[in-house]
Amino acid sequence: MPYRVHCMVCAGTGCVSNRSLEVRDALENEIRKRGLQDEIQIVTTGCNGFCAVGPLMVVQPDGIFYQQVSAKDVPLLVEEHFIKGRPVQKLLYKPPEAAAPIPKMSDIPFFKHQRLIALRNRGLIDPEKIEDYIARDGYQALVKALTEMTPEQIIEVITKSGLRGRGGAGFPTGVKWQKVRQAKGEPKYIICNGDEGDPGAFMDRSIFESDPHSVIEGMLIGARAIGARYGVVYIRNEYPLALERIQIAIQQAREYGLLGENILDSGLDFDISVTRGAGAFVCGEETALIASVEGRLGDPRARPPYPAEYGLWGKPTCINNVETWANVPPIILHGWEWYSQIGTERSKGTKVFSLVGKVRNTGLVEVPMGITLRQLIYDIGGGIPGDKKFKAVQTGGPSGGCIPAGMMDQPIEYIAPDGKREARDYLDLPIDYESLTDVGSMMGSGGLVVMDEDTCMVDVARYFLAFTQDESCGACTPCREGTKLMLDILNRIVDGHGTMDDLRALEEIAWVVKQTSLCGLGKTAPNPVLTTLKYFRDEYLAHIEAHKCPAHVCRALNTYRIDPVICVERGHGCGVCRRECPEKAIFGEKNQPHRIDQTLCKKCGVCVEVCHFNAVIVE
Amino acid sequence: MISLTINGTRTEVREGTTILQAARFLEIPIPTLCYHPWLKPFGACRICTVQVQRPRGYELVTACNTPCEEGMVIQTDTDHVRQARRVVVELMMARWPNVPIVQKLAAEVGLEKPRFISEMRDEAPDACILCLRCVRICEEVVGACAIGYEDRGIKRKVVTPFHEESEACVACGACAHVCPTGHMKFEPEDYRGKPPEFLLGPNTAIHVMTPQAVPKVPRIDRESCIHFKTNGCQKCVEVCEAKAVNHEMTDQELEIEVGQILVATGYDLFDASVMAQYGYGRLDNIYTALDIERMLNATGPTGGQIRLKNGQPPRAVGIIHCVGSRDENYHRYCSRVCCMYALKFAHLIKERCPEAEVYNFYIDMRAFGKGYEEFYSRVLHEGVNVIRGKVAEVVQAGWSKQEEGTLLIRCEDTLIGKLREIPVDMVILCNAIEPRRDAERVARLFGLSRSPDGFFLERHPKLDPVATSSDGLFVAGCAQGPKDIPDTVAQASAAAARMLATIAKGVVEMDPVRAEINEEYCSGCRVCNALCPYEAIEYLEDKNVSRVNSALCKGCGTCVAACPAGAITGYGFSDLQLHAELEGLLAVR
Amino acid sequence: MNQQQRFEPRIVGFLCNWCSYTGADLAGVSRMKSAPNLRTIRVMCSGRVDPTLVLRAFQLGADGVLVAGCHPGDCHYQEGNYKAMRRVLLLKRVLREFGIDERRLRLEWISASEGEKFARVANEFTEQVRALGPLQLEEAPAAVAEPQLEEVRA
Repeated sequence: MPYRVHCMVCAGTGCVSNRSLEVRDALENEIRKRGLQDEIQIVTTGCNGFCAVGPLMVVQPDGIFYQQVSAKDVPLLVEEHFIKGRPVQKLLYKPPEAAAPIPKMSDIPFFKHQRLIALRNRGLIDPEKIEDYIARDGYQALVKALTEMTPEQIIEVITKSGLRGRGGAGFPTGVKWQKVRQAKGEPKYIICNGDEGDPGAFMDRSIFESDPHSVIEGMLIGARAIGARYGVVYIRNEYPLALERIQIAIQQAREYGLLGENILDSGLDFDISVTRGAGAFVCGEETALIASVEGRLGDPRARPPYPAEYGLWGKPTCINNVETWANVPPIILHGWEWYSQIGTERSKGTKVFSLVGKVRNTGLVEVPMGITLRQLIYDIGGGIPGDKKFKAVQTGGPSGGCIPAGMMDQPIEYIAPDGKREARDYLDLPIDYESLTDVGSMMGSGGLVVMDEDTCMVDVARYFLAFTQDESCGACTPCREGTKLMLDILNRIVDGHGTMDDLRALEEIAWVVKQTSLCGLGKTAPNPVLTTLKYFRDEYLAHIEAHKCPAHVCRALNTYRIDPVICVERGHGCGVCRRECPEKAIFGEKNQPHRIDQTLCKKCGVCVEVCHFNAVIVE
Repeated sequence: MISLTINGTRTEVREGTTILQAARFLEIPIPTLCYHPWLKPFGACRICTVQVQRPRGYELVTACNTPCEEGMVIQTDTDHVRQARRVVVELMMARWPNVPIVQKLAAEVGLEKPRFISEMRDEAPDACILCLRCVRICEEVVGACAIGYEDRGIKRKVVTPFHEESEACVACGACAHVCPTGHMKFEPEDYRGKPPEFLLGPNTAIHVMTPQAVPKVPRIDRESCIHFKTNGCQKCVEVCEAKAVNHEMTDQELEIEVGQILVATGYDLFDASVMAQYGYGRLDNIYTALDIERMLNATGPTGGQIRLKNGQPPRAVGIIHCVGSRDENYHRYCSRVCCMYALKFAHLIKERCPEAEVYNFYIDMRAFGKGYEEFYSRVLHEGVNVIRGKVAEVVQAGWSKQEEGTLLIRCEDTLIGKLREIPVDMVILCNAIEPRRDAERVARLFGLSRSPDGFFLERHPKLDPVATSSDGLFVAGCAQGPKDIPDTVAQASAAAARMLATIAKGVVEMDPVRAEINEEYCSGCRVCNALCPYEAIEYLEDKNVSRVNSALCKGCGTCVAACPAGAITGYGFSDLQLHAELEGLLAVR
Repeated sequence: MNQQQRFEPRIVGFLCNWCSYTGADLAGVSRMKSAPNLRTIRVMCSGRVDPTLVLRAFQLGADGVLVAGCHPGDCHYQEGNYKAMRRVLLLKRVLREFGIDERRLRLEWISASEGEKFARVANEFTEQVRALGPLQLEEAPAAVAEPQLEEVRA
């Protein structure tokens, strides 16, 4: 008997940590208590993407979206919705500016503008059930690739579809497959790069968690196309749920005869093993990843030779990102014409972004290439919370650059692929590989960090550089020594000891590190510095010349002062700041204005945090 | 072939050539640091950066590992390249300001002083600059993988696993050889267990055994060769243009059919360290005669100069005769050659270090050959001291500063009847000539006899001193007994002449001592067939008798003694003859 | 013969050509003193020593018989000395049956370089046999005592 209602409870990492599993258990109990177990099915799904409002739940077939559901809401929910058929108003999503809540998921702006290809099954299937995947046309593309297409035809379709590597560099996938296919050496290997190291990016994890079979199917099609015998899924050990789900999926695929020898009686032999990474950022670099799989220290090596010729165990190896593999089955199933309609001239299809930072709707979104930053941040992301001003957006993780909003209305020159120069607005910048590179940033794995006016760009550059400097493997001189010296300079600037000579040296070293480093890590590590220097030079100058941090982030440059009027009139000289000050730098009596002795103040900022009356002023 | 342009010069190179190789061919200088011709290009130091024209501008690549492509346009001296190189060197200077190779690179790129000081600054002139040549040669060439590195980024360090002495290390010294700063050091003596002051033996894996070796070709010492330890290296194969190096070669067993054999297997030297009282291998500056021969050799380690361990010429040298010879505890025989070579040493030391006092400690001075006695008196006239008496012991002279390193020889001077202590700073031990250590095996192999001292026994000490008891087998040289060169030449010539005489004759005479079976008496019992060690007796099925093949029979008579029918006669030693002999022998009371 | 005079035994020695005979030669060359009681017969190999030869020697009045060959492993004919050893062991049992003290038969390994050993063995054995006294065999029938021997010709 078919179920009347399907209740999809999100079990992605974000919602699980918000106790969505408790909600699921409560639902199951409640439904059993009321004898509805034959009418209502509870499905635990992978990440829905709208992590900001978790734990969340979608009730099908109506597509009613519930947010921030807790276990104690469950009896009401079952009573009202499942029995009486009335959606529970207080659990529906309500945009801040709108008066009425939006009950249907497809009407919510966050979802409305998305186009799901890689994440096509998110929130719809139980990722631990291969039957669910197959019911959603899963492994159809594999059957098509095995029975109706030659390897050459598969490669042709992928090439014509315009699919490019989703790991960041955007190398055309079909060309890579062709190279590996033609390379000499047996056996050939396929690697799925799931070493998602960018802080704040979690699209790979989400795909593993919500739809692991799509990756396996993509790898199987790739194996058929390039003639590979073995596959490796490289996944961070910090993703326990993703690891568990991909392992379950591989096991299920083996049981169904979709992995192993003579798959579907086609003569294709292919099997996948899982390698867990220890979490070094540089292991996302393909040669370092291969070294890590081989059991060596995860150091990149100089290319050429490329892994397509000399990869895992010295054999031709095709290494693609998780998202790339997940994109393969729909392309095969629906054809390259369908896929190449989506996106821009040179960047086809969709891209998954993790939208984080100072934006209302944080979460994972999949949007067509060519969408503008404005659409992404305002339409999907819901804009900046509070009444703060949008300042910049950082794309591509720690290796990317900062694109300013301050130049929103000031067009810049954009060199189109055909060489034509045209004026563009940054915020209206259509996102694709080339446009981001042209403004000094990069697509990267798809991290998008939105920053508001409270963000100090020098501090942002320092933060990202500290990350890449710490993650540098240390093999080549510029990256090892250069990032460290750059970080030293930035630390000096942030501490107020920077000089103009430092700034010049910083620019020169950054240029050399970018130009001469051995691997992608070093070549992109200076991007945050170079872009902030380009677009926010005034902030650097403020730090160096005026010894001020315009965003009041760099504490060493701040001056803390207590407004005597507020202190007395509103706070009656409460003395919290005096008691909490670790340096005993604040003096004053009850009902008297307090004051900070600037010679003793170490600028820790504790007084700002403890004052209930906002009497401490930062300048 | 690929054509490309470097600095405006068009050139053609073979496929797979790197930019660095192409540039060096054109004599265009490109500085390198981590690059080493023995190693795979690593591209880590980034000093060899050059500029390549690309459709969308330019790209900076490392010359050492980038292969040439068709139509490539390469610039090695643009502003970008100069700036990149200068900053890269500056980054190194900031960390290792005193390393000579970094300073040299700084001079090349025109950098005087770095603008920064690294937190990790290391002022040692032999600091590790993380070129990882050592790690790479250990893995790629040697194959031992004994060195690695730990940590990442700025904290990266070259270490052995767990900072322990690496068990995988084969002590080849390749890491120290390729280290550009001298950070890696190698002390080869430690592991070879040889006295460090004096590596008189060969100390590389490929060497000509001795300077006078015949044939004068190098050989590979399996003990030291890296290839035989790790299966790696084989650099010698790469560099040998004649393709003459072959690691697969092994000892071969050849079977050569010959009619006569001359056993001239030579001798071994008495191990002087057995006589602990003389301090060989325990105290410094004590050498055996062979060590000194090597030192006196013009192609030897000191170029023929007599030197102490500290490099100074000796002030006094003691030469001790009869070490292991004429000694109840070791060898009772006289080694025959020591007195004369000891006098030769005395003469040569006087010649090369005229200031040095030379003392000879002898039991009897045996200057018996032609011209020998004259040489003895000449050496005496040169001022060499001779002391008759066996040395009791050699000891360290003392521990005071001025006595440091000197030795004291204690002996009895039997001519004046006094105990003497003589200070010297070098001692030469004339160790005995011994039979080869494998003489027993050789004797078994050839059926040779050995005299009580272990040397091979000749057929007759007076009447037949070159032949042995086996026909066609001769001995010569020290294999037969200690002798000097003229005696050896004489004996060897005699043996050769004897052998040639047999060859010249064309036929071999055999002893008539043979066995023969009387077929009338033979019952065909076949007792004799099984006894014959030479399988010289065959059984004739048709006649039901056995027959001796007289070409195979050696006449031992075993079958004669065993034949139950008395059908076998041993010519020369027949029953009749032996009985008659017995009767004659016992006829007289 | 003076009764007071010391008993001088007559001993027959069968010496192998390659080792013991050469060793005896070396003893002579080396001017070593050995008992003149030992009278030697050269055979090519100790393996040639037919037991009948030993018995014949005792019959003819020998007081002792020495068989000497190469050291084990050193035989010029590879293994003749082993055969001699086997035969001597058996022969000793036969001698016992005959009432001859088996100590009158002795087997020794003397190499070509052991002149000194030859001299020592000769002296020792002579003293041993002297201590045993003269061998007194019963008078045998003449026909048996004088076997008809003729050269067997092939």
